Amino acid sequence: MTPTLFGRWQTRTLLLLTFGPFLTLPFVLFFRLTPLLILGMVLCFGYCWDILYQVIQSGRWDRDWPPAYQLLAGIWEGAFVFLVSALLGRVFGVFAVPFPVFLIHYGLVWIVTFLMSQSLMRIVFPNWRYRGGQWLF
Amino acid sequence: MSVLTTSETLRLTWDDPGTGEELAWNGPLPVRIGRATDNEIVLNAAAVSRLHARLERDGAGVVLIDNGSSNGTFVGGRRIDREPLTDGATITLGPFTLTLDLDAAPPTVFAASGRSPAPTGTLTLRWTDPVGGAAREARIERELTIGRGGDCAITLATNRASRRHATIAPDGAGAVLTDLDSANGTFVNEHRVTRRALGAGDVVTIGDVRLTVEQVGLGAPVARPGADSATQIIEAGALPPPLVAPPPPPAPPNEHRTVILDLPDAGPSARPQRSFPPAIFEAPSVPVSALAATGLPVDETLFLAVGGGLGSFVWVDHLVTHGADPRAITAIGLEEKPYGRYKRLCAQSQIPLHERLRSNSDSCPDNIWGWPGYAVRESFTSLSRGQFGNAIKRTWQIFGEPTFAETYTPRAGDVFDSIDREAARIGWERIYRYGRVRAIRKTDDGRYVIAYSQSTPQNPSDHRLILARYVHVAVGYPGIKLLPDLQQYRETTGDFKTVVNAYEEHEHVYQGLIRGGGTVLVRGRGIVASRILQRLYEIRQQNPQIGVLHLMRTPLAKGHRYGRAERQVIDHWEYQPFNWPKATWTGEMRFQLERADDQERDRLLNDWGGTTTAYRADWVQIVDAGQREGWYQIRFGDVKAVGRDPSGKLVTTLVGKGLIKDETDLQADYIIDCTGLEAQVDAHPLLKDLVGHHGLGKNPKGRLRVTNDLEIVGMDNGPARMYAAGAMTLGGPMAAADSFLGLQYAALASVQALADLRAPGVRRLNFITSPIQWIKWATGARP
Repeated sequence: MTPTLFGRWQTRTLLLLTFGPFLTLPFVLFFRLTPLLILGMVLCFGYCWDILYQVIQSGRWDRDWPPAYQLLAGIWEGAFVFLVSALLGRVFGVFAVPFPVFLIHYGLVWIVTFLMSQSLMRIVFPNWRYRGGQWLF
Repeated sequence: MSVLTTSETLRLTWDDPGTGEELAWNGPLPVRIGRATDNEIVLNAAAVSRLHARLERDGAGVVLIDNGSSNGTFVGGRRIDREPLTDGATITLGPFTLTLDLDAAPPTVFAASGRSPAPTGTLTLRWTDPVGGAAREARIERELTIGRGGDCAITLATNRASRRHATIAPDGAGAVLTDLDSANGTFVNEHRVTRRALGAGDVVTIGDVRLTVEQVGLGAPVARPGADSATQIIEAGALPPPLVAPPPPPAPPNEHRTVILDLPDAGPSARPQRSFPPAIFEAPSVPVSALAATGLPVDETLFLAVGGGLGSFVWVDHLVTHGADPRAITAIGLEEKPYGRYKRLCAQSQIPLHERLRSNSDSCPDNIWGWPGYAVRESFTSLSRGQFGNAIKRTWQIFGEPTFAETYTPRAGDVFDSIDREAARIGWERIYRYGRVRAIRKTDDGRYVIAYSQSTPQNPSDHRLILARYVHVAVGYPGIKLLPDLQQYRETTGDFKTVVNAYEEHEHVYQGLIRGGGTVLVRGRGIVASRILQRLYEIRQQNPQIGVLHLMRTPLAKGHRYGRAERQVIDHWEYQPFNWPKATWTGEMRFQLERADDQERDRLLNDWGGTTTAYRADWVQIVDAGQREGWYQIRFGDVKAVGRDPSGKLVTTLVGKGLIKDETDLQADYIIDCTGLEAQVDAHPLLKDLVGHHGLGKNPKGRLRVTNDLEIVGMDNGPARMYAAGAMTLGGPMAAADSFLGLQYAALASVQALADLRAPGVRRLNFITSPIQWIKWATGARP
């Protein structure tokens, strides 16, 4: 599947707002709202990164986006969100979680949404793969 | 500088960058070349300016003037502003490379033949005489008896044949084979049969003799009408000539003489007068009340798939999955297996079952969701068999392709097996019926009536009619296509043994090479050329005395460009994972194509398409090693003629380009044409009739005009709708029209349109019904 910008945004929104909170719930029990804030940052910063990815993609002949690129993007996005949350933690003293916890939380959310984007999205929305990930419109 | 001939016309030839089809233009100076439709030569690509360049008279010669184009005009690879041209000069504008011919050839290579072509659709049998090895041939224009007996029309001097072994009789545009209770049996494509319909590409085996069935009358157009008829792009001056030359060559018998059983009583006048399709089919709209008076059996159905191949199967699969009652669906075609013809073309173009197709993992003709794709399935199968290496390799391929790993492609055999499973699940054997569709008409009650025949030798006029409300047409490629010079060679010599098309049955070429060695000339540089080269490489392990000459028209230094991207070129082969960029299947390029009008689609397809092959490390290594070791060599040039020298070798005469018009002779024992399949609507009798009768018009690629729902424009009839899929819809909303994914897309778009039209039973799948249907697929339950 070669995503469009709207497709990236729509798929990111759907998966992070369904599986995201579900997977974040156990972490909320121990770290209160900080994991939810991190999830929100992944979503919001992601909208911006998606624009960059689309520009990179348009320089490729096939205009495709191999899953390997999605992994690289995931590592980059995770690192960025962790740095921002650490910075916020230093300034406000509340918005940070220990790195191993971040790694488990973020990694879990990423793996699940990645696998779902490769499988469940196609099964639930037969048009999804032809529309560059645009399940809504 | 060359001097213009007295006729003062010149000829330019080039390949359509989208389809690879050869195009030509003939006319007088001056000539304007550009993207705008008021130019004499319209080249539709983004890199071509509106008025890009002009050809003008300059004294006694011709001069090419760049009109301040954005991307430049090149002659022989050098950018020019104003350049005197010589015969054979190559002019490059964007993705187009035109070759100039000042010797003003007749409008088409074939116009001078003056012979009426064979009726389209006549099939021909070709075989090698078991005694003496002569190439023989017979047209199936009347019933032919095959056997050992001297009274048979086709006598096979082999003990394994019975005296009267089998008959082959014409049936509409095809033929029917009947075994006459022979002792050793009659086989079609390795399966023993008693009665079977034959189509082009089938192989009949009797004893140790293989008879191949070929289509006559499907030639290569050297030109097609341009994007708009205001230009002077010539119409093909004559109908494409038949592949078979009716008059036997007067030459004394030699081992390559062709025997054509064109007996006087087989002429059209002597044939029984057929009144099928019935006379009422001449009317603009057929009155249903008049059908009974034809005396033909009339049947009714709701959904009808015409073709019965993969396109039909994928559509029926979508239809059933979307709720249609299988009892209301009928598919008519010539092959019991939906992949029958595809499999044969694969086998002949050297993709045996264990080899991989050029298709994506998610393009699954057996699964409308494309998940799990073939890569995931293959990984699981490998895991369950303990083949961890293969499982990891396939998973890594779909994860990293095409940047970090070679693109995954499925094994041909795995795809066919998966289709068998899905066919059993949806009850294909009750939906499919054998028949050859002859004509389709609108009726006066808002339906279509389809005339088809199920003829057999016992019942040579088993003609039938069937009424349907929703019709889907997916008939595939009409036939094989030969390069014009090769076709002319075959026409004049009747030699079908040493000059072959890669899609024809041509195993004898490899067997001959293994036995005696020799040189093969390969034409074309697409995926089929790669396959052929791979096979030649493999048989070289048995006989190293095999050489390969690869003839290309022009050197290739840089690949197609689109936006910031450029395709890779190695050793004059251009690489791309699939026929079209992946974003044309599912991404922004698909949306772009969907939004575009006919002209813009033509331009986009020219920018994105072209002849390419897939990057496979083994193929690149074969080319590399072959060049180093000297057994594979590339030659460039335009072919002037193909003939035979006194020693019996095939001689391809190339003519030089530019100032030095030297002629070079390439000697070879065999020529394999890897340039492709015929794809024009007019080459298919059914479609030609459909378009002609209903005045449908064609798109700039010469194919059917379809909406974004794949509905055939102009065929709607009240509530009735007609859809299409496959190669015949290129130029429509899906670039990869003839791919598995293209068939799936076409099926989904048309079935969703049917759901919106409230066709009985058909509903769009939603986020609840879609997963339910998928679970049924996964568990093998009926939809």
